[in-house]
Amino acid sequence: MTASSSPAVIQTRGLSKRYRKVTALSEATLTVPEGRISALVGPNGAGKTTLLRLLAGLARPTSGELAVLGSRPSQDPAFLAGIGFLAQEIPLYRRFTAEDHIGVGAHLNPRWDEASVRHRLKSLDVPPDQKVGTLSGGQRAQLALALTLAKRPRLLLLDEPVASLDPLARRQFLAHLAEAVAAGGLTVVLSSHLVADLERTCDHLILLAASQVQLCGDIDTLLAEHQVLIGPRKDTTAIERDHTLVQAVRTARQSTLLIRRNGPVIDPAFETADVGLEELVIGYMGQHARPVPVPARPTAIGEDQ
Amino acid sequence: MTWLVWRQHRNQAYLAAAALAAFAVLLLVTGRQMAGQYQSALAACTPSHTCGNLANTLILGTPLLSVLVTLTVVVFWGGPLVARELETGTNQFAWMQSVSRHRWLSAKVGWVLLAAAIWAGAVSALVTWWSSPVNALKSQNFQPGQFDIQGIVPIGYALFAVALGIAAGTLLRRALPAMAITLAVFTFLRLVIGQDLRSHYLTAVTKTFGFLQFPAHRPALPTGSYWLVSQGLVGPRGQVPASQAHGPGISAGFDGLSVSLNNMPSACQRLALAGDPRGIFPCLTARGYRGLFITYQPATRYWAFQGIETGIFVVLAAVLILVTAIVVLRRDA
Repeated sequence: MTASSSPAVIQTRGLSKRYRKVTALSEATLTVPEGRISALVGPNGAGKTTLLRLLAGLARPTSGELAVLGSRPSQDPAFLAGIGFLAQEIPLYRRFTAEDHIGVGAHLNPRWDEASVRHRLKSLDVPPDQKVGTLSGGQRAQLALALTLAKRPRLLLLDEPVASLDPLARRQFLAHLAEAVAAGGLTVVLSSHLVADLERTCDHLILLAASQVQLCGDIDTLLAEHQVLIGPRKDTTAIERDHTLVQAVRTARQSTLLIRRNGPVIDPAFETADVGLEELVIGYMGQHARPVPVPARPTAIGEDQ
Repeated sequence: MTWLVWRQHRNQAYLAAAALAAFAVLLLVTGRQMAGQYQSALAACTPSHTCGNLANTLILGTPLLSVLVTLTVVVFWGGPLVARELETGTNQFAWMQSVSRHRWLSAKVGWVLLAAAIWAGAVSALVTWWSSPVNALKSQNFQPGQFDIQGIVPIGYALFAVALGIAAGTLLRRALPAMAITLAVFTFLRLVIGQDLRSHYLTAVTKTFGFLQFPAHRPALPTGSYWLVSQGLVGPRGQVPASQAHGPGISAGFDGLSVSLNNMPSACQRLALAGDPRGIFPCLTARGYRGLFITYQPATRYWAFQGIETGIFVVLAAVLILVTAIVVLRRDA
């Protein structure tokens, strides 16, 4: 199955969101085909949460177009039934029990999978009759995830879903997610800082930095398009002319370049290496990192002579 | 949604029901006692014309307690209704179920308004029943302390207070400031409407009395629990209302019709101060004064006034709910 043959579950063009003075998302154009698990990565404040909230219909774009599951996000029950969104803060009613939340879901959703949520909670040892406010952060996250999945959405939008899970629970959750996607009919976008986890599960990448989409596409394709060049410290204008330089790390003797290839690299002075997801992500994030201010060198008297 | 609303607010509902039951027991016990006392005391006071004092002894703090209880309850219901959800983010949980924000808001607001109306209506019905001996004695049904805790106006107040709390909570996104603002705005509005606006709902009726009727004939004052809005002299250039703020008035046994001294020609004033009230009228007649007047709201208008005041608060409540709906549906979560 190629990207072009499956219909896009998410399609945006020039999507922007401004809050009074701050631009949270600027001119985002991206496509996520059906059946992908898309990793949404980027530094803090890059606009990940804003993008997810726009896709879920919780916020309205300032400008631009977007289509999610074939329609513009709205407060319409038919649209909402297809979306599962889990906010980073894991909003649950603190005075409700897990059982109460299952009741809410059963009353408010047309395709409610009560058996699955009960099964999940049982296997995860989340007590059903204890007030949610007294559960641990991990238990709350598990409950919220189980509730979101029980809605049987066609698109799952998860904002940092695994942040509060222990490594084992994290792996189990991601495995479960991959199973659900493999069963068909589900597409996932999940934001996370844990790139190692994402690499195992995700097959699609959206990279945001400085409120802009830097990369969007299949992870395999993106990795194949990029390359690391390691060579002597020398003038790299020739390379920069032929390829897109993403990041350059230069020490006294050596240059390490991350480039987006435009054909084969033929400079014999450089060794080439494949790029991992983490390198790629950090390379692009580093592009937009604020330069660390260099402390002013104290000027000694007479130095200007 | 009803299921969710009930699950979220059932404790408040139980609490309100318990408070209502306690209040009902208090009023039923004291009310029955009072009715008994009223019958025996009425028999005693009627011959000596001291029934006004009896009424004063019957007015306890209980009706005012009802104002306090109602206000507290509706402030606690309205302010947090939307604000608490915004504070804790649970609105996002609800809005990501397959239910429109419109339905979510309608269910929440609808049920709490209904509960507030039932609550205030029940308290008001109890107080109205409880106050019937006092109403019969005092003949001041329009006065604050009676008019605004009986009949249907408390329902209007409760709906408005809840709506104000909801709207303030939605705009501020914080429950506690919303409750404080509700309390302040509600109290202010009640005072303004009670003191300045209420007497103007309908044009007051004017009645004039010629001096000749005094003191030989008792003036034909309006009957029942009417509301005296103003009174004064009918002078050569029209009505001269008595200004109660300046100077003493004399009532001289004319059944509550007083003539303010400071509006009187000084010659007549001196007569009055010299202790000769009978000489005032010839004195005034000689200077072109023709009689006394009163303007008043007839007792028969009581329910019209109740209806108008309730209507004002219901309309204000509707506007606030509309504002809330626009903000909730338009604003980003």
